[in-house]
Amino acid sequence: MTALELDGVHTYYGESHILQGLSLSVEAGEIVALVGRNGVGKTTTLRTALGLTPPREGTVRFDGTDVTGMEPHEIAARGMGWVPEERRVFSHLTVAENLRVAAHSAADPDARIAEAYELFPALDRFADKEAGDLSGGQQQMLAIARGMVGDNDLLLVDEPSEGLAPQIVEDVVEALRAASADTTMVLVEQNFRLAMDLADRFYLVDHGVVVEEGETAGVTSDDERIRRYLTA
Amino acid sequence: MSLGTLPAVVDAAALASALDPSALLATGGAVDGLRTAARVLAEGIGKGAVYFTIAVGLTLVFGLMGVLNFAHGAVAMVGAYLGGLVLVIVVGANTGTLATILVFFVALALVFAVTTAAGSAMEVTLIRPIYDRTPTYQILLTFGVSLIIEEVARIVLTLRGIQPDPQWQAPMATAPDVLLGRTQLFGVGVRRLYLFEIAIGAVVAVAVWAFLTKTLYGLYIRAGSEDTEMVQALGVDVRKAFTVVFGVGTGLAAVGGVLLMWDPIWGPSVLLSIDVLLYAFVVVIIGGLGSFTGTLAAAGIVGIADSVTTWLFTTGIVTFPGLSEVTIFLLLVVMLIIRPQGLYGVEEVGGH
Repeated sequence: MTALELDGVHTYYGESHILQGLSLSVEAGEIVALVGRNGVGKTTTLRTALGLTPPREGTVRFDGTDVTGMEPHEIAARGMGWVPEERRVFSHLTVAENLRVAAHSAADPDARIAEAYELFPALDRFADKEAGDLSGGQQQMLAIARGMVGDNDLLLVDEPSEGLAPQIVEDVVEALRAASADTTMVLVEQNFRLAMDLADRFYLVDHGVVVEEGETAGVTSDDERIRRYLTA
Repeated sequence: MSLGTLPAVVDAAALASALDPSALLATGGAVDGLRTAARVLAEGIGKGAVYFTIAVGLTLVFGLMGVLNFAHGAVAMVGAYLGGLVLVIVVGANTGTLATILVFFVALALVFAVTTAAGSAMEVTLIRPIYDRTPTYQILLTFGVSLIIEEVARIVLTLRGIQPDPQWQAPMATAPDVLLGRTQLFGVGVRRLYLFEIAIGAVVAVAVWAFLTKTLYGLYIRAGSEDTEMVQALGVDVRKAFTVVFGVGTGLAAVGGVLLMWDPIWGPSVLLSIDVLLYAFVVVIIGGLGSFTGTLAAAGIVGIADSVTTWLFTTGIVTFPGLSEVTIFLLLVVMLIIRPQGLYGVEEVGGH
């Protein structure tokens, strides 16, 4: 079953034409990576799917339902979660409160939060600590946990390794693998190798359209069809 | 006018007499001095409770929505008149103290309910369509609403034969005698009205704190104050939260108005609209726009500054009658210079 489908999507920021007829499809249960240079429209693709930056043309379907033009909270309530770039945790709320806001739509919020603590024991230890006082890696764990506790079927993850030390990135990768066990995932990631390691398939985006797609197995950034789109 | 003709602002003799240590010791004045300080402090806290009550709704609305509601003072004015109306209708010459206070609380609840509903309706019909515009539109709109409310109030009051500018005395006369005198607390005579205002201010503070920290809606509001878009992306209908918060903020402004109705310093008058707005802005800016804790702290600071400067004037140490207002607005200016985001404010709230 198709979890997410973008069909001929055109999205603008003011008069800047960012997505120029982008189409992609994500099957339930898979991890799909969006790769490409900075500023080609990867983050905008996620924002368009979630309704935060609605498209002027084209269609967004989520679990078979046309969600184009729906409000972000309506799309999110249907089971689409977001782990945004730069984490965007609520820094003045405690870790527990961050998770509580996200778990409001879950059938059993307490059980979902307990599962998140099992997966991320560090968060359990710092449950009463303000999120703004956590390290970058801990905040990223919280952002991922927050995306998971809402009974989401699809998780949109934007630049999860950004600004993190290599050792912490490994922990984040493990967390994402764990999260993907029962959630479809769309991953935007600058680190090409990491994206290929995690994902089943990839879409290479350039100037607001998909220019390459395929299985990730065996793909490297030295591949000629990839390299010319990743180098400036 | 030459400098020599300017009136003296500080009475040097009165100041020396008040601060003379030998005279204080000889007459037992040190104890009196401590008592005076305690009384001034208690009255400052009383004034702070009033300032908190009139400002907390404004800071809640700005914190979540980024809307500076210039109609806040006008709503407080309406609250003072509506509360007064209930008391004038219900309380008669034979109504007992307890019954009068009970009617006051019924009026408080009624006014809160009516103005909360009106505020919610205002958010849906007037504010919501202009969220995407610059803050100037929201300021102009709410300022326009404030002018309309004031003019409608003037028309209605004039038609009812009530002068809009001097305080409407009838509801003030319903204040029970028990609130008019002073009571001895640890040897300090404190006006009972201030104690009453402190009690109501404390109840409002605890209720708002509990709403913000113990309810799911309060959690949405605190999260939304930091990042509205992220809250939406977590499946929360922020528009509903906006409506609830604007309604509650409006209701709290009106509760502040009801509280001021019995206070001889304020009292129901159309001018209450601008007075409340100015003081509410001073408190929320000093405390930090959008911060509950900041509003609480700033209300205490402004209240005590007001109380001390009022004492300086009433004892004749300072003869400048505008000392209190000048001091409070100086506090605002100093805060804007040294810490523009206020005591507990953040540089940006609600993603606005």
